[in-house]
Amino acid sequence: MSQVVSVDDASRCMKCGFCMSSCPVYTVDHIESHVARGRNVLIRWAGENSIPTDGDFGERLSYCLLCGRCEAVCPANVPSAAITVAARTNWVSKKGLNWLQRLIYRGILKQRPLMANLLDLAARIPGVSVKDGKPLRHLADSVSIFTRGLSIPKLSRPFLSDRLPSRINPPKGVKVRGQVAFFPGCAFEFFFADVGERTALALAEAGYEVVYPRDLTCCGLAVRSAGDLATAQLMARHNIEILSKFDHVVTGCATCSSALKDYGKWFPEGDAWQLQASNLASKVSDFSEFLAKEGFQPHPTEPVTVTYHDPCHLKWHQGIKDEPRRLLDSIEGIKYIEMEGADECCGLGGAFGIAHRDISLAIQAKKMESIKKTGAKIVVTSCPGCIIQLRDGAQRHGLPIEVMHISQLIRGQTEQHRKPPSVGDGEEQSPHPKSAP
Amino acid sequence: MSLSSGTLGKLRKIVGDKGLLTTQIDLAAYSFDGTSTWKGMPEAVVFPTTAEQVSQILKLATEKGIPVTPRGSGSNLSGGSVPVLGGIVLCTTRMNKIIEIDTANFTVTTEVGVVLNDLNRELTRHNLFFPPDPQSFMAATIGGCVSENAGGPYAVKYGVFKHYILGMTAVLPTGDILKLGGTTVKNVTGYDLSQLLCGSEGTLAVITQVTLHLLPLPPARQTVLAVFDKMVTAGKAVHRILAEGIIPAKIELIDNWIIRRIEEFSPMGLPLEAATILLFEIDGIPEAVDRETEEVINLCQEEGATEARAARDAKEAENFWTARRAGFSAIFGNAPTAFPEDVTVPPSRLPELIDRVEKIAKKYDVTIVTLGHAGDGNLHPCVLTDEKDAEHLARAEEAIHDIFSAALELGGAISGEHGIGLGKKPFLKKAMSPEAISILRGIKKAFDPKGILNPGKIWEEA
Repeated sequence: MSQVVSVDDASRCMKCGFCMSSCPVYTVDHIESHVARGRNVLIRWAGENSIPTDGDFGERLSYCLLCGRCEAVCPANVPSAAITVAARTNWVSKKGLNWLQRLIYRGILKQRPLMANLLDLAARIPGVSVKDGKPLRHLADSVSIFTRGLSIPKLSRPFLSDRLPSRINPPKGVKVRGQVAFFPGCAFEFFFADVGERTALALAEAGYEVVYPRDLTCCGLAVRSAGDLATAQLMARHNIEILSKFDHVVTGCATCSSALKDYGKWFPEGDAWQLQASNLASKVSDFSEFLAKEGFQPHPTEPVTVTYHDPCHLKWHQGIKDEPRRLLDSIEGIKYIEMEGADECCGLGGAFGIAHRDISLAIQAKKMESIKKTGAKIVVTSCPGCIIQLRDGAQRHGLPIEVMHISQLIRGQTEQHRKPPSVGDGEEQSPHPKSAP
Repeated sequence: MSLSSGTLGKLRKIVGDKGLLTTQIDLAAYSFDGTSTWKGMPEAVVFPTTAEQVSQILKLATEKGIPVTPRGSGSNLSGGSVPVLGGIVLCTTRMNKIIEIDTANFTVTTEVGVVLNDLNRELTRHNLFFPPDPQSFMAATIGGCVSENAGGPYAVKYGVFKHYILGMTAVLPTGDILKLGGTTVKNVTGYDLSQLLCGSEGTLAVITQVTLHLLPLPPARQTVLAVFDKMVTAGKAVHRILAEGIIPAKIELIDNWIIRRIEEFSPMGLPLEAATILLFEIDGIPEAVDRETEEVINLCQEEGATEARAARDAKEAENFWTARRAGFSAIFGNAPTAFPEDVTVPPSRLPELIDRVEKIAKKYDVTIVTLGHAGDGNLHPCVLTDEKDAEHLARAEEAIHDIFSAALELGGAISGEHGIGLGKKPFLKKAMSPEAISILRGIKKAFDPKGILNPGKIWEEA
């Protein structure tokens, strides 16, 4: 049963500091107000009005990736990431959002059709979008001045909802095992539509009738993490209503699955929506979690070396670490190499990666070093945010690797011939450097 | 007092923009340590990355008479890194490079901001072993450990930090950079100043680099769990095992209160009815480990253990040790205020100390929970109280006073590994003669004539 976390939980921290050496941010800058222990003390003192809660305080709250790693090492099980979100929520309810946040969270992310129309317009600008495998040139790179150099993916054309029927049946000859609702999430709808398509098809190949409800909205996690709880609740309710009628809900986005499973904590204790949210949570699975649970045996692939990066939203927020590895291991042809620190954050953390670019890049550099040591050709992960950051890093560090979503390696047994995996919309990955670094 | 903009400008010049913190929020985050009691706001926090920068900072501070409090991760339990007189917090956490692991000579030279756990991880790769293991190793920096002369469970067999210090680089408050000691185990060259700085709690000099002695990693390890229905019986079993000539690598004691708390928040299968659990680690070559494990189990049973057995597998062993590490957290998480005391007695007097602590708890009607390193006689009786309840707090303080007296009467010390800091300042006079304290004061003067380094610690105010 979910338990709503409040800023009062900060007082459970007894300042042992065990979180420090596992915090991706603190191990880069070593600033106490940027690690769970220091932030917990500050949040507690802010509640007691013994320190000024000025702009500096609000700013300090932003120095957290919400990766949740500190919670895993905390001997007192203090939910530090959730406490930070609670503090941000209090902050927002007191000081409000800035105009950009208001525009993005309340104006765009909440209004899925509006988002679709806006992005569709944007996608018509030459260079802003890609068709599968045929990258157009780079007007969209100018967008990176707004993201402080982070190369963001180009929009997909067409979007996922124009690629997939609202219902996909398993291929002929595959035993039908049931029905799943597919929750693609904004990233797979608009930016990695080919991956979204692959994810849905893999589920069909595994024997499921895949239903893609068109009127879903954003999962709301970005909005929730920024402290705009009211908007996040509206999004959650919208999705809960649509998804409640299904027995299984599957998403390929680690962030979305962690949000959908977590909706219960977004509503006050005893709220009617909390109960509904908890019911939904038990039906939600991450893509790899679902297939592993169902004992799915993927089709062999051509020989290739693969390593896996644990998305924080999967490992620390949902405890899913064995399933994706088991799935990869079960694919004949894959030589799996575990990277050092596979479960260390990639450094994106949504808006964090743009707001605190230098820290984000330092964390990314460590990850690239680990990937490089494996010598793997493909880095697999299960989160579009991680894909963005890892591709950005590979480009920045000149690593000759492909970054893929796990579904891109998965084919059903029915397919006669397994094609080499395609990188999909990964145009931003651009031509690989010829010389190995 | 507040630092002038001129002084801040000079600090900024030394450590750069990113090496200086001055906002109220950032300063507040450096106003506490691992205790629940002590607080003191600094006026600036600096992050030097080289001994030269430390030298310039200290020279400036001496010139202006600004207090400087050295700090690592701030996980200490004595108030030692709290800047009670304001001034500058000199944070060593960005001096965090391991400089050289010398596998041929079993030494490591490292900067002081390296976290002990990170050092150990690196050493394990080379099959090397650095035994001193304060249980804050996930957070504690090497510099903090050296300055507090820290130790942990391994002390029974392997000693504490001071036994491994071969040499160091340290910066005097005047700014002079000293190279002390060397890289060899045997070295008698004048007064051993690195040994003096070890345990000086940051009051004499700022250590920037140390060379530590290492051991080869023991090839085998075994964990034994023994359950007792009386804490005193457990104390006797420890003494018996040592008297029989067996020196386990660790002998740890956890009492019933802590067992229950640990099981409440992360169940590990510890026996809830046990008055006391002893955890042993036995290490060495496999044959010796097997034989000693058997002996330890037999001796515990002979001394009246209700259960004594080896851990079923590595996973269970790890669970037991995690439970032990969670001990302090369990205490802090369950009382508004907790005083984790740190008294030590000769191991043979341990049963008497345990007995005295139990009586003190009854006398003052306070809860005292106990965990500790039974093997080396270092006990952590933690007095639970609430600083907002003056009457209860007064009783708790009297109980602590009595615990110190008991330890001293039994031939022990008021601090085994946490240091004096602020917490035990009032009791220093009970533990040291006026003549000895006067020598300490003279040494302090010789190192730090203007008294800028970590002022307000160890010494009782005149």
